[in-house]
Amino acid sequence: MTIPADLKYTKEHEWVRIEGDTATFGISDHAQEALGDIVFVELPEIGRELAPGDAFAVVESVKAVSDVYAPVGGEIIEVNEALEGEPEKINTDSYGAGWIVRVKINGGSGELLDAEAYATFLKE
Amino acid sequence: MTGLAHTPLHAEHIRLGGKMVPFAGFDMPVQYPDGALKEYTAVREGAAGLFDISHMGQVRVTGPQALDFLQYVTSNDVSKLVDGQVQYSALLNEAGTFIDDITTYRIADNKYYLCINAANRHKDVAHLQTCASDFDVAVLDESDDTTLLALQGAAAQKLLQPLCNVDLEAVGYYRFAECRLGDAQAIVSRTGYTGEDGFELYLPNAAASVIWNALLAAGAVPIGLAARDMLRTEMGYALYGHEISDAVTPVEAKLMWITKLDKGDFLGRDAVVARKAEGAKQVLIALKLSERGIPREHYPVLVDGEVSGEVTSGMHSPMAGGVALAYVKPEHAAQGELAVEIRGKAVAALRATTPFVRSNVRK
Repeated sequence: MTIPADLKYTKEHEWVRIEGDTATFGISDHAQEALGDIVFVELPEIGRELAPGDAFAVVESVKAVSDVYAPVGGEIIEVNEALEGEPEKINTDSYGAGWIVRVKINGGSGELLDAEAYATFLKE
Repeated sequence: MTGLAHTPLHAEHIRLGGKMVPFAGFDMPVQYPDGALKEYTAVREGAAGLFDISHMGQVRVTGPQALDFLQYVTSNDVSKLVDGQVQYSALLNEAGTFIDDITTYRIADNKYYLCINAANRHKDVAHLQTCASDFDVAVLDESDDTTLLALQGAAAQKLLQPLCNVDLEAVGYYRFAECRLGDAQAIVSRTGYTGEDGFELYLPNAAASVIWNALLAAGAVPIGLAARDMLRTEMGYALYGHEISDAVTPVEAKLMWITKLDKGDFLGRDAVVARKAEGAKQVLIALKLSERGIPREHYPVLVDGEVSGEVTSGMHSPMAGGVALAYVKPEHAAQGELAVEIRGKAVAALRATTPFVRSNVRK
């Protein structure tokens, strides 16, 4: 299981990469492993405003349906359309090609954990 | 986990890294580390998958009136069976609804063997024993002594033959042989729940690990519950608690082909005859989404924007996309254009036929 040090995490197992005033969201390696083979991703519309904690995407595995929640607030400026054809990218590269949306940050943030705190949280 | 039963192969599942979940009172592997999709693919694309389905129950029925008894308690016509033949059938109650769906094995004139669903085992056995008091017959629950494996996929026969002392080529579809598997006395039937060629193997528990590991060593891929459900749903096979239950009769479930009204009296017959005359309360249909999405169990099925029924089993088929079985109102039985409500949105669907993907069973 990998937990990159340069990302922040939520207790709902999303990750966020903050670069200047934009942020990229995805789900953690732990989350993809727990879900199993991901076969469908429902992406949001570009332009939608998210508050921290808003459900913005749905990830479905063979047996489960999971909402994905916004770690920080912002306006969606890009969605990873490649996931519509290849949802398995979330399984194979959850922190890279498996990113889900990019937002322009405006608004607050929920509780974010650094990599060390997230690793501890997973052990609890 | 406390309270969950273990099959004789539980330790093997743990050793293989199976992800264990509660299922019908057992701690069972939902998938192994390679994941459900790879397991599914192994079965569909030429290999052979190995399933531990020992949670299912087995009941031996013997005695001078075994045939009369089974004609009374099961819906299909047992008199049509010859020795070594298997029949898909059902146990109905007096209301004509399902106690269970089963397979009936005819071993000999006065010797039969039933395979029943795990979740219904105790209910079935109690029912059979109650009914048996009117017949000269013995009903013996052998579930705890029996390991049941399924070996499914195009390579199944090739992998199994070296362990088996009968010529499997001679065992036709829905036929079985009593034989030796390794050192154990077993029943091998050419049956399954996947739509692929393959076998189900009934073994004494003492032989379970040896045969399981011999088949894995020969190249079989262990398959968990998730892939098993994908494979059966793609075939449109009914699953108790989903398409069939004590709320529907064979008229609703499209299972009149296993309900032989002309064989004489049997339990539930009058109710089924009446239901057939008055018409089904709801109708089981197959549908396929024409847009992206996964229809899941209990999602509403819409016709012209109104709820007509709900999905009983649904999935993302790697070959066919979003497919589902669903009950709808009888007036929509022939409806070509439907929709499934997914997270508040109506996703267009078309009436489909089963199997959703090609069946490769040996007919």
